[in-house]
Amino acid sequence: MPNISPFIITGLAVGAVYALSGVGLVVLYRACGVLNFAYGAIGSIGALLAWQILEYWDVEILAWFIAIGASTLLSFVYGRYLAPRLAYRDSVVKAVATLGFALILLGIARWYWSDDPRHISFQMDTVGISILTVRITLTRIVAFGSAVVITIGIALFLNNARIGLSMRALANNRDLSALLGIPVPQVETRAWLMSGFLAGVTGLLLADLVRLDAIVLTFMVIPAMAAAVVGRLKSLVGTLVGGILIGLFEAIATPFQTISPYRSVIPFVVATMVILWLQRHKQVALAKGD
Amino acid sequence: MEMSVQTDKPIKDSMLVNIQHKVGKLGGILPPAILIVVAMTIIPAFSSSFWIKAFTSSAVFSLAALGVALLYGRLGLVSLGQVAQLGMGGWVVLRLGHGTNLPFVIVLLIGGIVAGLVGLVAGIPALRMRGLYLALITLMGAGGFQVIVNGTGFPDGGPGFLGRVESGTRSLLARPFFAQTDAAYFRFVIIVVTLGFLFVELHRRTRPGRAWALIRKSDASALSAGVNITLYKTWAFALAGFLSGIAGGLLAGSIGQLDGRAFPASDSIMLFAMTVVGGVYHWEGPIITGLLLRAFPSLLNSWNVDGNIAYIVFGAALLQALITAPAGLAGQLADASRRFFQNRTRPSANEAADSDHKKRNEQQ
Repeated sequence: MPNISPFIITGLAVGAVYALSGVGLVVLYRACGVLNFAYGAIGSIGALLAWQILEYWDVEILAWFIAIGASTLLSFVYGRYLAPRLAYRDSVVKAVATLGFALILLGIARWYWSDDPRHISFQMDTVGISILTVRITLTRIVAFGSAVVITIGIALFLNNARIGLSMRALANNRDLSALLGIPVPQVETRAWLMSGFLAGVTGLLLADLVRLDAIVLTFMVIPAMAAAVVGRLKSLVGTLVGGILIGLFEAIATPFQTISPYRSVIPFVVATMVILWLQRHKQVALAKGD
Repeated sequence: MEMSVQTDKPIKDSMLVNIQHKVGKLGGILPPAILIVVAMTIIPAFSSSFWIKAFTSSAVFSLAALGVALLYGRLGLVSLGQVAQLGMGGWVVLRLGHGTNLPFVIVLLIGGIVAGLVGLVAGIPALRMRGLYLALITLMGAGGFQVIVNGTGFPDGGPGFLGRVESGTRSLLARPFFAQTDAAYFRFVIIVVTLGFLFVELHRRTRPGRAWALIRKSDASALSAGVNITLYKTWAFALAGFLSGIAGGLLAGSIGQLDGRAFPASDSIMLFAMTVVGGVYHWEGPIITGLLLRAFPSLLNSWNVDGNIAYIVFGAALLQALITAPAGLAGQLADASRRFFQNRTRPSANEAADSDHKKRNEQQ
């Protein structure tokens, strides 16, 4: 039995970031019905900008600011100017359209920054504490802590503030919400802004914890979607738990030689089982759109 | 009311009805026939080996795209796992090709059938789902396949079930005796792909096609018309899987081996996106998709343009197709040819697809 405690730490941190990505996806999906495939790409542009700034000036706080700002802006641009044109289409068409945005961003990222291997290392990496011979860097603690705090914070905020109510109303019925005087574009734009902000944060954390590569970060959205599916694309806390569990299982499998190469299959297996479980009562015929 | 009767117009347009109208019965099969003749004679005669390989790969991917277009265009089902099925077909073909002495064509058929069966099994839970959850579960399946095949790799003549060579030289799968050269193999691929398109066309014109058209309108109307929804939906999944499996087998046969890292879930998403761009209602659509996916990057490469520009073009094309042209490039092509022939009595393909979308949204 290998010592798995270092892998538990890694798993908790990466899982927390999956969870945070999943929360960003769920917030947006609940309000606008858009499952954002561009989420990872938006985060990767932010992370690459941060890398650039660290190369030029080495001012970490500026890098964070610009990265998160850029991701929020990109999300805003899509959400405000492109997404409304598809507002009345099937949710799957809306999801596929975000893929178009993802491809554009991915193309720009790989064209401008090429695909050289890069790594971001924040100063937080050098600070850390040791628990039971395992060293935990501050970045990992921040990743885990921010995921838990942000998720619970957003959940409380959306359950109590008026904007949360408006978002739930929109998710229920867009036309009726508009009739009741909910400013639809404004509420939707706010959801895109929140989601873009979270994409920026998770992009930066993943660039530090995993790898700074446009393709890797762009398609990191797939395990994040698995986390969101565990939360039924609805529950923020469910997404948090799902993301952390997925990250944990994946990391714990690492030291076991025979299953190690297959450990990344875990998010997909978990998500598939959850989808099948959720759909178990649906009738074969007369299935409605999602 | 008139619109609702005409919603399957884009489907009818697929054989360029308007030209058929003018030139008579022969007109409908003229464009595909010319295309096949050009592909069989001019391309192998005048292309370099680089381009023949690019066109072979394009033809292979148009077969996979045909399956995606079938599911999305006929039934409104989104499958984001077709490239995984392509990989499965390739795996079976390599395994049987190395392990048995069966002729390549038989091995290819078995590869297609196995991928079709996988599609069938995957299709059973999918019967309960539509829309987003179906897209997600197929995506998760593709993700799972990516991880597993990345670990196991593709058979290369070794022992055991996985057929992997642990140490020593990896062997390539020999091409069939009748298609040894690149040009001959390309012709063979064109024949198989043509048969695939005809097979789908046969479905479209017979009972399954009518059943699919009803299911696409709504499950309720199909049910009330006595259509066996379970059977025909599963059959569509199996058919799409079969086409992808054959495509994978053709790919394996062309190169002789496959790379375990070459079938990521992202490629399945990309295939779906480009199928929408190509157009799902016309037979030209999947062909355009294949060319976009495999010949267009080669074109950029030969012009010394950064290959990543392809991503940007694909992304913009996808947004443009979804927002303004639901019938894709093939629909725009059909509209252009209609304008050329000055026959504006029917709604254009994109208008018809558009009204179809609007109507379906009204129902929700």
